[in-house]
Order: sequence, then structure tokens, then C-alpha cells
Amino acid sequence: MATPMTMTTEADSERSLPELLYLLQFADSALPVGGFSFSNGLETAIQQGIVDGPATLRAYTETSMWQAATGDGVAVLCAHRAVMAGDVDELMRIDRLVHERKLNEETRLMTVRMGKKLCELSSGMIEKPLPRDWFQRIKSGETPGTHPVSLAITLATLGANRRDAFGVHQYGVGNGVLSAALRLMRISFVDTQKILLDVTAQVGPTYERVADATIDEMASFSPIIDILAAVHVKGHVRMFMN
Amino acid sequence: MFSGARELGAYQDEPPQLPSGSFGKNAFLRLGFEPGPHRSVLRTLHRRAPLIVQQALYWDEEMPELPCVSIISNAGGILQGDRNIIEIDMAADAQAHVTTQSATRIHEMDANYASQTQQLTLGAGSYLEYIPRPIIPAKNSRFIQSTQVTIDPTATLVYSEIMMPGRKYYRDGEIFQYKLFSSTVQGARPDGRSLFTEKFVLEPDVHGLARMGMMGGFHVFGNVIVLTPKDKADALFERTQPAFDNENELAFGASRLPHDAGLIFKVLGMESAPVMAKIREFWSEARQIAVDRKVPENFLWA
Repeated sequence: MATPMTMTTEADSERSLPELLYLLQFADSALPVGGFSFSNGLETAIQQGIVDGPATLRAYTETSMWQAATGDGVAVLCAHRAVMAGDVDELMRIDRLVHERKLNEETRLMTVRMGKKLCELSSGMIEKPLPRDWFQRIKSGETPGTHPVSLAITLATLGANRRDAFGVHQYGVGNGVLSAALRLMRISFVDTQKILLDVTAQVGPTYERVADATIDEMASFSPIIDILAAVHVKGHVRMFMN
Repeated sequence: MFSGARELGAYQDEPPQLPSGSFGKNAFLRLGFEPGPHRSVLRTLHRRAPLIVQQALYWDEEMPELPCVSIISNAGGILQGDRNIIEIDMAADAQAHVTTQSATRIHEMDANYASQTQQLTLGAGSYLEYIPRPIIPAKNSRFIQSTQVTIDPTATLVYSEIMMPGRKYYRDGEIFQYKLFSSTVQGARPDGRSLFTEKFVLEPDVHGLARMGMMGGFHVFGNVIVLTPKDKADALFERTQPAFDNENELAFGASRLPHDAGLIFKVLGMESAPVMAKIREFWSEARQIAVDRKVPENFLWA
């Protein structure tokens, strides 16, 4: 798959260096929000022999990212708008809608665990009221605290724009699957990094498809991944939460 | 109600035949079941062709008090411009089984779209099985469906859908050649508290379905939602073993829905029969747990 190698030159970049580095910090897989404990169904896919090499891993990563884009990715965009509008009620509605679309217990656990961790982290790092207020609401059980909403709150508060927040989210999904792959199957770093480079090239066109979606338009269709998650919940030998 | 849906944007042109939603294209069914002294009865029946229901029969040998209703269409399927509405209302402690007479064919389209709105309301202690025959979306068809379930915490619903890839054995075979299949199922309590939402918008031309993690190499998609009190859902979950069964080309597994609403069970296969058989197994477990009865053997001719 060809990777378009167009990068913004220094002259037309509107992003300041700190703004870029914020994005890198929150997209980093070393960010301690617990993403590394979840493989997004990959562990079972490897056990079942569905994913067995670079080609199938690439396809699995692409599907995970596409489903994330049309579901949680839309939530990131809508939550970012709500942060900009200062609309906490809307954030709570988005949070609830994301949570009730997670139809497997592990995917629900994953989103609220990562969402809470991320919000705890940003409320301790960012001197702004919203992350702290949102963390209180999560702790008190007022809102589920899903990951896309916490991510949008964090990045919007740091001044990142909507598209960048979406990009960080998508990168996190792709990178999460690929880092899990390194620990689960025989595959080289070169292969996973090459896949990452290729799949991140698709984030731009995907963004264009969902850029103006409303929260009610969140949708996803991945029956195989859903069944993998069901198998994983009942599995006895497993390294990942999912 | 769907005309504002973004995925229908390209399909607003009126059919050259009867106008959309006009006479003959606005089927309506309202079925109301109530408990009787010995068995539940179909007390309310409103119908507008092409959807037809005649009367409840009591054909279930394991559960002879169960009114069974078959929804018939005299249009031969779903056509462009159709706007169907189906409402099923279960009074407290009522029981019923609703199915369709044959597969629902969504015919080829060259204008507009078809929609179906379903509203299922389950009162306290009621029990509804809504298990239609498979849906076959033909080439170029566009279909949008919304299913709203309002369920009392003590009631049980077994709701299933089987989606074929198209007319698999027609001419060279149609596999995912429809334009649009959009489905939303929402569950809520009578007080309005929402439980879960499943929404998918399938546009095979835009994003192919035969992808890893989506349909992969499978053709038939079965989806069963069982809404039932938590202790029953736990028992059903316990009895359900998920698997990727390569030998029989089947994959299936159940997951717990949010807010202890129940379970969602997905089955993938190559043909309708094995998927229906697997769903029948799961449905039988659900029935045994909910009302302590088995599902009878399938009719030889079904």
C-alpha cells in the first residue's frame, strides 16, 4: 500500500511547537492510562489463527481504526465541540451515548477505565477547571467517563483543534493494536511500524468522512471482533484485558 | 421520520411508480397481546396492507398457551418507497411469539429507499419472542430500519435478525451488492432510561464488508438480543459457549449488554440454515431460563 509522504513544510505549519508536542505526549503509548492492557480482541484473533502475519494484522488494524472512527472518533469530534461551547450537559449526553453503545463488558470496562485514568491525569496536569470538574463527575458516578470524552476534554483544554484530537484518537487505536501484536505474535518491529505508517496515512480521508457527523450518527459494524471479544471474556488463558 | 438521515441523502428521488409512503406503500401493523384465563390472546389487531396478520394460532407444542402470529406480506417483499410500521404491545404477563411467513425480500431499487419502524413495548412480566425469517437485501436496495424497545425490568424479549448477503444463488450470486442497510436498535425502560443502542450503517460500495474483523469470509449475519432480568441473563450467559467453529464454518458468541439489560448474541455463517439452527439453540436456552419451556424441534418443512 502506498503511503503518501506529503508533510506540512515549516512555512505553512500553523501549529506551534508546544502544540505539536502536546499531541505527541497524549498520543504516546507510554501515557499511563492503561491502554497497554487491552488488545482490542487481537489476543483471541491470534489464538484463533485469524491474525497470523503482517497482512492479516494490517487488515485487523484497519478495521479497528475504521470502527473507531465511525464510533468513538465521532464522539471525540462532538465532545470537542461541546468543550468549545462550554456545554457540560452535552458532554454528559455524549458520554452516556458512547457508554451504551459498548455492547461487550470488556470494551465497556476498557473505555471507562482509560477514560477515568486519562481524566485523572489531565486534571492533575492542566490548570483548568474542566478536567477537574469532569474527573469529579466521573468519581461521583454522575457520568460513566468514557475514553473519547476524556480525550476530547484534555486535548481541547490544551488548545488542540478537533481534527488533531481525532488524529490522536485514531493513532492511539492503531498503535494500541500494533503494540499488543508485538507481545502476542512473531512479528518484527519493522513490520508493525510499516503498518502504522500506512494506516495513519488513511486517517485524513477517514476524518473527511466523519468530520461533520452528529453524535446520533455513531455507528459500528464488526461482528467478528464482537465474537472475538465474547470468546475472550470466557477465555482462560489470556494476557490482556481485551 | 427517516428522511433526515444522512445515509439516505442520495436516495430522495421519488419512484416512477406509486409515490413513496402512499396507499399500498405504508403498511402498518399493531399487535396487542393480553393474558387470558388459560392462555394469552391477540386482543388488538390493526393492519394495513401489504402487511397482514390473520389471527393467532397456538402451534407451539412445547408451549401450547403461546399465541403465535405470522406476519404476511402480500407485496412479495419490500419495495422502493415503502414505509412500514410494526408495533407490538405486550400487556403485563402476556406472552407471544411473532415471526414472518417467509424471508423478507428487499427488492432491487432504482429510486428512493424503503424504511421500517418497529416499536416493541413489553409490560411487567411479559414474554415476547420476535423471530422473523431472514432478510435478503437485493442488489442496489436501500433500506433503513429503526427498532425501539421499551421493556419493563421484569419482562423478557427474544429478538432476532438474520441478514443474508443478498440473493446468493441468483444468477452469478449477489454478495453484498446492496447500496444501504442501516439499522438502529435501542432499548429503554418505561421511565425513559436508555439501556443500550446498536447502530450500523452498511454501505458496501463505500466500505466493503468482506473485511477482517467485519464479515471476513462469512456471508450470513445473525443477531439476537435477549432482554431479561439480570439473574436470567447471567444464567443464559453461563450456558452459552462462544466459538470459532472452523469445521462447520460458524462463529458465535454472546456479550453482556450495558445496564444489565441482557445479552447480545452474534452468529456468522455461510448459509442461513446453520445460522438459524444456532440461533434456535440460543433461543431455546433463553426460553428455558425465562419461562421454563423448550423450543420445539423445527418443523420438517421449515
